[in-house]
Amino acid sequence: MADLTANRTSASRAGAENPIVRFFKRYGWGYAFVLPSLITFSVFTLIPVVWAFIISLQNYRLNGDSTWVGFENYRLAFTTQSGVFKIAIRNTLLYTVFAVATNLFVGLVLSSLMQPLGKWAQTFFRAAYYLPTVVSAVIIGVIWRWIYNAQWGFLNYVVGLFGIPPQRWIASPDLALQSIIAQRMLTVPATAIVLFSAAMASVPKELYEAAALDGAGAIRQWWSITLPLIKSTTLFLVVLYTIASFEVFDLIQVMVPSGVGNSTQVIVTQIYQTGFQQYRYGVAAAEAFILFLMIAAAAAVQFRLLRSDVEY
Amino acid sequence: MTIDAQHSQARGRLGRRDFLRRAAALGLSASAVGAFLAACGGASPATTTAPSAAPSAAPSGAAASTGASAAPTSVLGGGAAATATTAPAASAAPAGGGTATRAATSAVATATRATTAVAATVPNVVTSKSGFKGTLQYWVLNYQPNGANQTGKLMDAATAAFTKANPDIKIETTGYTGDQAGFTKISQAVQGGGSVDIFRLPSDILPQLVRDNLIAPIDEFLTPEDKADIYPNMLTAVSVGGKAYSWPLWVPPVGMYINLDIFKERGVEPPKAGWTYDQFIAAAKQLTFTRANGDKVYGYSGVIDPGIVNTWPFIIGDGALPLSADNKQYTWNTPQAVSGLKKLVDLAQTGAHKVAPPDFGSQATADMLTSFQDRKVLAMYSEPSGASSGYRANKVNFDVVPMPIGASGKPITAGGIGLISVTAIKDRAKLTAAMDLGRYLTSAQVNVDVPGFYLAPGARKSVKVADPIDKFTPLVENCYITPIIAEWPQIRTILHPYIQNAVFGRTTPEAAFSEPAREINAILAARP
Repeated sequence: MADLTANRTSASRAGAENPIVRFFKRYGWGYAFVLPSLITFSVFTLIPVVWAFIISLQNYRLNGDSTWVGFENYRLAFTTQSGVFKIAIRNTLLYTVFAVATNLFVGLVLSSLMQPLGKWAQTFFRAAYYLPTVVSAVIIGVIWRWIYNAQWGFLNYVVGLFGIPPQRWIASPDLALQSIIAQRMLTVPATAIVLFSAAMASVPKELYEAAALDGAGAIRQWWSITLPLIKSTTLFLVVLYTIASFEVFDLIQVMVPSGVGNSTQVIVTQIYQTGFQQYRYGVAAAEAFILFLMIAAAAAVQFRLLRSDVEY
Repeated sequence: MTIDAQHSQARGRLGRRDFLRRAAALGLSASAVGAFLAACGGASPATTTAPSAAPSAAPSGAAASTGASAAPTSVLGGGAAATATTAPAASAAPAGGGTATRAATSAVATATRATTAVAATVPNVVTSKSGFKGTLQYWVLNYQPNGANQTGKLMDAATAAFTKANPDIKIETTGYTGDQAGFTKISQAVQGGGSVDIFRLPSDILPQLVRDNLIAPIDEFLTPEDKADIYPNMLTAVSVGGKAYSWPLWVPPVGMYINLDIFKERGVEPPKAGWTYDQFIAAAKQLTFTRANGDKVYGYSGVIDPGIVNTWPFIIGDGALPLSADNKQYTWNTPQAVSGLKKLVDLAQTGAHKVAPPDFGSQATADMLTSFQDRKVLAMYSEPSGASSGYRANKVNFDVVPMPIGASGKPITAGGIGLISVTAIKDRAKLTAAMDLGRYLTSAQVNVDVPGFYLAPGARKSVKVADPIDKFTPLVENCYITPIIAEWPQIRTILHPYIQNAVFGRTTPEAAFSEPAREINAILAARP
């Protein structure tokens, strides 16, 4: 008994002496494999976010003579420039709500319509929908700028055929943001189509067969089987599109570079203006950190509401 | 984007590495940065600006010769009263004719034909007596290497001339884009030290670099000849705390481009220098019409953008400048400023005269070019000199006249200054060599060595520019230079949406100029 106790103590001491070595022997390879990703994440996401927060607390100067100002930059973000940051937040939220809802809906409908098709037809449609995404957003923006042009735009030509007078689609503060949102809504959500298609294809066929035997029609099957079982994909896309919409910049910068009297200002264009046009890096960092918090909060809410407990 | 950047009309690609670093500092995520890079990557210029075409020893117009020699004293730096009394005349003769062919190539070849006849009279300042042996890092706005654009060709030729005269000095040239990201890039490069010795910059970012002690004053390198040659107010404009911090290169003032084909089509007499706002309105109304094919032609337009002052001559024409002479007080909340803004507002479709296109206020520079040159549906628009060389190369039948005179009764326009600065180099010989290069690149000599070097009227009396740039020379003396203070970029972005919304009819001119007063005055009051 005494020998047994002594052996246990000895083994315990041996293990306690090399916990790091033991940890690395046990988990080392696993950590080695995730290390590149961890480094990339740290360098390009974590450190910039921390750095942005630090800058947001400073009157940041390029020559290093920065001074700490506490949360003053956060106050300035909301109170300077005639309060345009509040307009930018409102516009961003409006854009996000319409863009995310429409993209998900259209993606879901088109993917569902593609499901009954044959393999080759599905591949064709997936490629056809995805191909335009390789076009630069700048080119898309330039084309839409032409479509919306108040003098010689294609849209005014079309509405003119119906006797409607020419509109200032992106030249009027009352219409510009709506026109930009409409552009986003009319763009086929290629990523959603591809991911929804993949998710729908992975739903076990037996479930549909069983439902059919129970008398469920196509719409009922879609509602009761497809939708719940692709919930995790839906959550992923909601988060993805929400982040993309919060960060919209390129299309707006190309389509309405002059801002149309601040009516098309969104958060990232405001950050750009504050940082790169006014050189107020501290305030711009504060605005960027506010954007980060908004995205994090939105993602948390979406995860909470759309989390899926279903596994198959 | 600034006036100086805009005038050269050449926007290249972003410096991605520097932008990524700065964007990361601001916490933008990879997708946002990627989107931004994509946006900037595609923002290529609509056309490449070609240099002046036809040789011309003297500016066109009766009194234009005064423009090159008279010191532009009047409205510089935000306050001094205008003193100019002679409105220089501009030529109204058709300048080119033919179809508007895009031929923005062979820039240097074209420039060669624009040789000015001043070689015998300008002092030769190409030789450096610094004793420096080594390499100077020269950063140039809108430069693209290997002659990929007009600035690249001209600047390569100029630095080659300098190194030929100074074989011990090598010059490595780096380009940066004429947008805010480009200015951030140069600001950071200067701040980093070592990678920039001398650089081209617009006047907007000068105060910030001076504030951060990043550039060297030029005073001790200014020779008596320099002081006599450079327009005094140019030196005043680049001075902070009594020291001059840049070699003034050129001044791109805003002028009125007129499409002579449309004037001829409507039987309207082209305007002459000294024309008034009322005469301008009368002409613009006649030039606003619908063609038989349904094309709507508009009398006037101009870009309204935070970094551009192309429409400001209308606002300041009644005598009000945005800031007081000492840059301590906002002064656009005055009846003169309001009446000036109303003159601009009245041009819009929501205004009294309705001579501007329906998208007036939200148009981009490219829209002007398309309307004026390609579609020929714009009779007049206001812009600095940069576009003129391209129009000449493309054989557009156009002319440039001073902006119409407002209620102040004095000719006035707006613009910026192109500068060359030297960083705070500690090596005395290197600093001297960089200063010598700065002097040469802003001299009349460089215009002799590289014909067509100047894309805007020069900041020295000895610099003679050729057609069509010379059309802008008479405007220099009446050019209001936006305030060269560190707070100006912030102030101009505050003012811009108010001006836009007044043009859109969303606010009154009175409200547009009174509402931002408190914030702008607070910014000015906080100045050190």
